[in-house]
Amino acid sequence: MAEPYLQMIGITKQFPGVRALSNVSLAAYAGEAHALIGANGAGKSTLMNILGGVIRADAGEIRIGGKPVAIHSPLDATANGIAFVHQEMAMLPTMTVAENMHIASFPTRLGWVDRNTMVERTRPILRRLGCQFSPDTQVQHLSTGDRQMVEIARALLSHPSIIIFDEPTSSLTSREKARLFDVIRGLKAEGVTIIYITHFLDEVFQICERATVLRGGEMVGSGVMQELKPEQIVHMMIGDLGVEVHQKALKANLGEPVLRVTRLNREGVLKDISFILHRGEVLGLWGLLGSGRTEVARAIIGLDPIDSGQIEIHDGKTLRVVRPSEAQRWIGMLTEDRRDEGLLLPMSVKQNMSLANLRGLASRWMLIRDDEETRQASRLVKRLNIIISNLRQPVRTLSGGNQQKVVVGRWLQVSPPIFIMDEPTRGLDVGAKAEIRNIILELAEAGNAILVISSEIDEMIALCQRYLVMNRGQIVKELPGSATRNELMAAAAGVEMADAASI
Amino acid sequence: MNETKSLPMPILLQARNFALRYGFNIVLVAVVLFFTLTAPRFLTAANIIGLLHAAAPLMVIASGLALVVISGKLDISVGSVAFLTTSIGTLLMVRHGFDPIVTLFILLALGALLGALNGFIVVVLRVNPLITTLGTMIGLRGIGLELTKSTNIAIPEEIRRLGNAAIGPIFVDILVALAIMLIIHLIHTRTPFGRQIVAIGNDADTASRLGVRVNRVTFLTFVVSSLLATIGGIMTVIQVGAVSGNIGSGLEFTAVSVVVIGGISLFGGEGSILPGALRGVLILEIIRNGLNHLGADPYAYRFVNGAIIFIAMYADSLRSRLPVIARSFESEEQPAAKPTATG
Repeated sequence: MAEPYLQMIGITKQFPGVRALSNVSLAAYAGEAHALIGANGAGKSTLMNILGGVIRADAGEIRIGGKPVAIHSPLDATANGIAFVHQEMAMLPTMTVAENMHIASFPTRLGWVDRNTMVERTRPILRRLGCQFSPDTQVQHLSTGDRQMVEIARALLSHPSIIIFDEPTSSLTSREKARLFDVIRGLKAEGVTIIYITHFLDEVFQICERATVLRGGEMVGSGVMQELKPEQIVHMMIGDLGVEVHQKALKANLGEPVLRVTRLNREGVLKDISFILHRGEVLGLWGLLGSGRTEVARAIIGLDPIDSGQIEIHDGKTLRVVRPSEAQRWIGMLTEDRRDEGLLLPMSVKQNMSLANLRGLASRWMLIRDDEETRQASRLVKRLNIIISNLRQPVRTLSGGNQQKVVVGRWLQVSPPIFIMDEPTRGLDVGAKAEIRNIILELAEAGNAILVISSEIDEMIALCQRYLVMNRGQIVKELPGSATRNELMAAAAGVEMADAASI
Repeated sequence: MNETKSLPMPILLQARNFALRYGFNIVLVAVVLFFTLTAPRFLTAANIIGLLHAAAPLMVIASGLALVVISGKLDISVGSVAFLTTSIGTLLMVRHGFDPIVTLFILLALGALLGALNGFIVVVLRVNPLITTLGTMIGLRGIGLELTKSTNIAIPEEIRRLGNAAIGPIFVDILVALAIMLIIHLIHTRTPFGRQIVAIGNDADTASRLGVRVNRVTFLTFVVSSLLATIGGIMTVIQVGAVSGNIGSGLEFTAVSVVVIGGISLFGGEGSILPGALRGVLILEIIRNGLNHLGADPYAYRFVNGAIIFIAMYADSLRSRLPVIARSFESEEQPAAKPTATG
């Protein structure tokens, strides 16, 4: 094997209070994609920011093409042929594709932007990426996948020999993903070195030749993909002291009903939705995308109007009829969209956790008791194992998994009897997913009733005592917690199986 | 996941989009028609030229402000900058016998300096631009009032005569104003500086990540804005023939309304000098002029002006809430883009 094109040797970086990287090395070869894998907070981004010149390493050496290079700024990185495709797309929506690509360094003639040159430079790159849109299209008119292509096109503008892709697929559809992979294969064929950051293992096996796994700022493994197994990588990512996924224990008897929904209807969306949710139960609402799962949740808590139907909630004594807008008092909601629906990002962990419980924290004079607020927050931070440096840290700075835990923590302060969780672990890494799942099981164990919606069949199987299968806005089947993958898949697709469990 | 499907846009939405896009062109045509029909002497060459003459300073000031607004910020000190610089200029000429040409260059330098002050406070001290320029708006006017003792000071006769200078029937200051608008328009659309202003208006963080020197560009927009405010002030004083304490007073808000009526979004990143800002100036000036012709109560203009500003702001807010329809350029797939909705 030839010498690696890119070598990072013994990279160490200390942040105040945290050792972000210690003695990490990475060797990537030209014409290959090298996966950089790790849970959130493992140090992937820090390592790549060092390569990109965004931050400086405390110790270590970077070699490109065998020669040591000094990278002290993003400009140095560009000069050394390194380009970065960021996870959060940096797009200027009202500007054109060509302008978005050239914004930092417009070609000029006598001080005026040279549009012709700009467009001429853009066109071949778009063609190479298989893009159909013109350089003059405004970015706000492009789909997410096309915007991703613009982001890549921008990186290609400087003819890089090393391209870093940071979680490039997190907002792409499977079709767009396939297109991205074609592009990456094309780049590899041209001899470009690719660093591919992700926590989706299937992608790594699809597109990468080698991998380096980080955990807690240390390199825990590295090798050629053919010799690595997915379980091995997961083990490296999570480690021995990592999270063990609890197994659900199927209960023989269901608790008393805490939520009863009767014949919920909404024209064209929901039809005759009826079910009962019991104390201590995790009930899965299962179905394909667009089957109406999310709509059921939204209707129950009054986010969407209903045409008819009745919702009853156990208020401690008896089941009583409530209006959907009232239902929120008893229901804690957790959605995939924690940034938009759950959290106030600039506010601190502590403040976010108190939001649902301001009344409970208020003193006689209606002032928030700071000591009590702190006490509650630190209790929950400990209980949920939220990784933060202090309670005043803005939620914006937390990883996805920790953000989701803050939302859970907020609900735990008021401990509602019912939870509705819509894709609670989407976008989280393997470790964080497992932790959130464990929390869900613990909540059920403690007597809460939980309605879970998830697109991941393994997640449903890991959690649910019972399944309601939805199709086109109706509940078409109920399956017991012992149902198998095949049964669930068949039911969602509307296929009757000979051995389907009887209800 | 977004489980809704994208449907073809309903007619009503299309109509609304059309209205939002071309609304102020329609308004412009409507006010011209209205006053043409109701005020017999409105649509005469003399009146139109007079109208443009009166609007010339505003054209200049609004184009500078437009750049600031397109970058997503605001500069409400323009009126006070116009007042302070012209006060100083008048005093230099009248009390100290400075040559008018020399004075002109001193004033331009002074205007740029005041803009640099705004820019410094915004960029280096990181004070919110609205608050910064609110402060300089109040402070600079105070200095000007102190210097002039808030009295009227006439400018030298030979300069006052420039106010009526004309080439044929057209006043020179109209041509100057249009030329400046054209230059600012070209800077906005055709130079890296202009494009980077748009980028900052889209999202300063993103622009910065892409390598735009956000601080430098922002600083320069404030310099340009104050520079043009100074030129506008000079044009006003030459027309009026004297500085007085109310020169440029309220001008900042007129200029902001012009910019908004011109379709330049206060959210930043969108809008144009030509035709945008020019259209805004024309609409306001036509209404003022037309109401005069109708012999309307002088206070009616303020009311109408207020109503128009409100409508313009509301249209801006509606526009920014509209989902941008994403097109997918792949063969079959449905667009997957989230609408970029802002609250």
